[in-house]
Amino acid sequence: MKPSSTALAPAAAAGSSRSKSRVSVGKLAMTLLMIAAGLLMILPFAWMISTSFKSPSEVFQYPVSWIPKAPSLQHHLKVWTGEDSFVRYYYNSLKIAVICTIGATFLAAFAAYGFARTQFKGRNQLFMLYLSMMMVPPQVLFVPKFILFDKIGIYNTHLALILPGLFSIFGVFLLRQFFMSIPNDITESAFIDGAGHFRIFFRLLVPLAKPAIATLAILDFSWMWNDYENALVFLLDRELYTVPLGMQNFILEFNVDYNGMMAATSASIVPMIVVFLLGQRYIIQGITGSAVKG
Amino acid sequence: MNWNRKQGLTGYLFILPNMIGVILFFIIPALFSLGMMFTNYKYTSPDIKFTGLDNLTRLFKDPIFYQSLENTAIFLAAVPISIALAFFVALALNQNVYLKSMLRTMYFLPYITSGVAVSFVWMLLFQPSQGIINNVLRSIGIANPPGWLSTTDTSMFAIDIIWIWFLLGYNMIIYLAALQEVPQEMLEAARIDGASRWRTVVSVIFPLVSPSTFLLLITGLISSMKTFGMIQAVTQGGPGNSTTILSMYVYQNAFRYYEMGYASAISWVLFAIIFIITMIQWVGQKKWVHY
Repeated sequence: MKPSSTALAPAAAAGSSRSKSRVSVGKLAMTLLMIAAGLLMILPFAWMISTSFKSPSEVFQYPVSWIPKAPSLQHHLKVWTGEDSFVRYYYNSLKIAVICTIGATFLAAFAAYGFARTQFKGRNQLFMLYLSMMMVPPQVLFVPKFILFDKIGIYNTHLALILPGLFSIFGVFLLRQFFMSIPNDITESAFIDGAGHFRIFFRLLVPLAKPAIATLAILDFSWMWNDYENALVFLLDRELYTVPLGMQNFILEFNVDYNGMMAATSASIVPMIVVFLLGQRYIIQGITGSAVKG
Repeated sequence: MNWNRKQGLTGYLFILPNMIGVILFFIIPALFSLGMMFTNYKYTSPDIKFTGLDNLTRLFKDPIFYQSLENTAIFLAAVPISIALAFFVALALNQNVYLKSMLRTMYFLPYITSGVAVSFVWMLLFQPSQGIINNVLRSIGIANPPGWLSTTDTSMFAIDIIWIWFLLGYNMIIYLAALQEVPQEMLEAARIDGASRWRTVVSVIFPLVSPSTFLLLITGLISSMKTFGMIQAVTQGGPGNSTTILSMYVYQNAFRYYEMGYASAISWVLFAIIFIITMIQWVGQKKWVHY
């Protein structure tokens, strides 16, 4: 690396033009190094997409032929058409993720307001109970939920995923933090003007909390979309499968069809990449916001 | 007084809808599971007996339980490794590069994709005889590259590589935010005092971001304890039981062998470990972290 920055300091103080160009070389080298490492990070995605368009004989060719010799849509067609079409899995996943995201965000915002801006007996104890539930691993809940859902007849239906998905403890936590950060005098003055809690919530805090709410919605959507474990436990019938489960099913069924496998994984990953690229700002904000304050 | 009571009622009203769900789908099932832990409940047989601590004694004699603990420990090793790598990536991206936002996206991308889907890709990359990883290893002169996911003594390490890769972006994002908070004057002062760049990183930057390191370690350990989907999708815990981690062992007992009582007992051991990590966080935050 650099020998020492002491030598650089007087130079930087004396004349900036020379040192600037020197720094840029270092910066350029670092950029190239980081791009090389970054390419390694996205290599699995590149390989996946490339393989999904290849012919079977090209899959394990080495050196890797990144650009397929005769690109073919055949494997993607196999994924999207036919008996176990991803259209069905997409519909299931979208239905579940959209309903849960809207419901969970809305209910979490309500509860977060209650915890952040109203006074009632046992409020802090109740919040501690919420926090302690975040420690309980989902594996503790699988068995009792399985038995409960079986008894009330929603095992092996989408309701088994939707109903619990409407209640996000993390969401309450995230939005409460955000509501607490909004200065009290804003709501105080509205109170004095005679506004009630519901009015203040809808007219004042929800508009102010839009970025936090968007963050929660995007995170929640991606969790619901990617959720494999709950679907694995609570869904049985193939026509109910969500994308991760459908993908696994596809892979078990065609386990030597590597091109098809990669077309199937592309089908499940690409939407998330698109959501991410569109909502990048909110996602990163939400992650850093909730983590740094938490 | 009247106003206060009304205010209190409104508070409950706001929380009520969410609380109903939390009680129904979190609290009651958790209590139910706690009770089930002391029974011999099997889904396939109708008679349930209270068996006291039998499940726990059985657990402590169960070799697969011990193996799953060991596997979990190896799995968790991915967390600090990923944090260390992310620290250096964040350092580099924080000051010394062009195309910052593009690079940030490249490193973060794995985290946003589903671990399950992408592990299928890794499965093929790790393919022992023809996969790209072993082909590269052979071409740089390693005649007998490891069998990765296909052999019992390497499978957990292959999983670790996937997990390090998966978590890296998240850790990096947190560090990038923390590095923004490092006061420029302190870096300037270190430079004027003649500190080398490495010295500055070790003695100034690293202590200043220690709250983030601590947070990442704890949340990383906890969330890793809670997942098994990625491993389940690729290896189903195999070969043998070489990739069965504790959370997956709960799943296997419950839904492969229908040993609901026993599975509940294991799941509470899992909870106990998470609880201990959380307590360390509470205590340690005050002691070890420099603010």
